[in-house]
Amino acid sequence: MSDAPAETMAKPHKRPLSPHITIWKWGPHMAVSIAHRASGVALATLGIIGLTLWLLAIANGRETYFFLQSWLQPWYGKAVMIIASWAFFQHLLSGIRHFVLDVGAGYELKSNKRGSIGVFVGAIILTAALWGYFIYGRG
Amino acid sequence: MGGGTNLGAVRGLGSAKHGAEHWIKQRTSAIANLGLMVWFIVSLIRLPAYDFGTVGQWLASPLAAIPLAMLILSVCTHFRIGLQVLIEDYVHDDGLKFASLFGLTVYTYGVGATALFALAKIAFSGMPQ
Repeated sequence: MSDAPAETMAKPHKRPLSPHITIWKWGPHMAVSIAHRASGVALATLGIIGLTLWLLAIANGRETYFFLQSWLQPWYGKAVMIIASWAFFQHLLSGIRHFVLDVGAGYELKSNKRGSIGVFVGAIILTAALWGYFIYGRG
Repeated sequence: MGGGTNLGAVRGLGSAKHGAEHWIKQRTSAIANLGLMVWFIVSLIRLPAYDFGTVGQWLASPLAAIPLAMLILSVCTHFRIGLQVLIEDYVHDDGLKFASLFGLTVYTYGVGATALFALAKIAFSGMPQ
């Protein structure tokens, strides 16, 4: 291996390689894995900082809380909160899926695919239910 | 290989018996997050209104402040391990990795302490006035 010419490394199409990210056929199991990391990063930054700012605003008093509310009430404020809650539900359901995988279940092709798609669908349903209630249920 | 002592063969390879510690901590904190976040969201839904008085009064009660403090600690524990895995996966330069992990520690304690301070201030000052 060590005496092979360097150019063979630059032309991967000439030799078979083990499957890598550019070679795998895309499937829901890959999307749900990437979404788990992405939503985790979103929650670890946007999510926890949002919660902290909310607590700080209340701790600081009435005027600061009014100021925060004036940013959260318009459509862009609601959009940020909807995206944050969607990231939460995505990470939550994906995390529950990981618990199932941890005990060694759900690796069969069909059930794995069903579980992955179920995470995406479930996260959208829970987000829609929560905000449907906030916007239409409470007015 | 060969020739060396048993101790010499394993030295520098990291400590034994703690390999699964992060893995398990990631999952126990996930279970805590699951329960506490469900409590948090259900409590928010059950609040009659979201004005300063209602929210402040709710957060000032021990039944809200204590679980919320636990939630902050559990979430910080969980995201610290998660982001550490991400850094270890994607940052390959040793110096940059060290700096990123240090930055993550500072960020985690900074955010956690700020959130806990704000919550404690609300709880101990008996909001709202």
